[in-house]
Amino acid sequence: MEHESLALLEALLHIPSLSGQEAEAAAFLVDRMAGYGWEATVDAAGNAVGLVGHEGPLVVLLGHIDTVPGAIPVRVEAGCLYGRGAVDAKGPFATFIQATRRAELAGRLRCRVALVGATEEEAASSKGAHYVRERYAPAYCVIGEPSGWNRVTLGYKGRLLVHYRLEQASAHSAGELPAAPESLVAFWREVEAHCAAHNAGRERLFDQLIPSLRQVASGGDGLTDWCTATIGLRLPEGIDPACLADDLRALAGAAHVRFEGGCPAFRSPRTTPLASAFLRSIRAHGGQPAFLHKTGTADMNVVGPAWNCPIVAYGPGDSRLDHTPNEHIVISEYFQAIEVLAEVLGQL
Amino acid sequence: MEATCPECAASVALPADTLESEIIVCPECGAELEVVSLDPPALALAPEVEEDWGE
Repeated sequence: MEHESLALLEALLHIPSLSGQEAEAAAFLVDRMAGYGWEATVDAAGNAVGLVGHEGPLVVLLGHIDTVPGAIPVRVEAGCLYGRGAVDAKGPFATFIQATRRAELAGRLRCRVALVGATEEEAASSKGAHYVRERYAPAYCVIGEPSGWNRVTLGYKGRLLVHYRLEQASAHSAGELPAAPESLVAFWREVEAHCAAHNAGRERLFDQLIPSLRQVASGGDGLTDWCTATIGLRLPEGIDPACLADDLRALAGAAHVRFEGGCPAFRSPRTTPLASAFLRSIRAHGGQPAFLHKTGTADMNVVGPAWNCPIVAYGPGDSRLDHTPNEHIVISEYFQAIEVLAEVLGQL
Repeated sequence: MEATCPECAASVALPADTLESEIIVCPECGAELEVVSLDPPALALAPEVEEDWGE
């Protein structure tokens, strides 16, 4: 089974699948899931979907199969499997497939499992998750993101992207009119101050409003000068994206600001049967379990509020390797996560 | 079954169908507690919620 698990992930890593370009990876996964005798299809959002079982509560295992750019040669070195998506999040979705298969072969599945390899999680659209949100009403949900084999993620911060654009008539640099880039810098400082005011007295990152300046460009044609920027904000609980957008629009002066990908933070309690099942399984496999709150955003933010069921995120891998040129998964940890999740599925 | 809350020393009743690793809330102090043993019944503070980067 371990050879099969490794081969599955390795083959999946060989298939490039940038957001919006997941068709080949989805077809590959559907083929593999159908090969297990599961009902498997690519749905209208391009998600790879596998359905297992006919009785019991519905468990949705929602991973994502798109990756950020940056090809990393797929290779095994010193017990690690390298490749773009090894951690975020093809490794976790391969874990879902192999754990479900393991539980099924052991005759331990008493639930129905819907495996969804979703599209466009790395894009602000979260296309795949939005599609399935309206089509399932699960009793339990596990999101496929790296937590480490012995940890379970309970919550993610929210997000808001701000696209800033200022255009103004060109003027001499010795004149009194601030240059367009200077106005952008002033806006950025206002954003930082707004966040700092919110964060006063809040020590946990999960409780803070954190801005990041992600892109800046400027130019002019002699008649008009312009400056654009993209700012990302990670939202704590209690910050509504629409209200924050209103505040930022008021700070932007004459600039045009456009907002994208707004979603609030989401947090699941640790007192659910699902969280307990993970604790039990991690301990049974010799681990010391821990819970996590993450500074990023995931498809849990999309489906969690709508499904209102016990939900966690789980998967092998170190999320500090997300989006890095060194992305890799420790193969032994991948196998451990498969065993832990198979045990969890047998308890639901 | 009854066990003692490690936070406030209150006696906490455990239903007959309680499972190991179940997380319950102490009715006295509100602490979230993990059932670490059923025989004998024993409770410990639930694993901490840590912070991590990512996604």
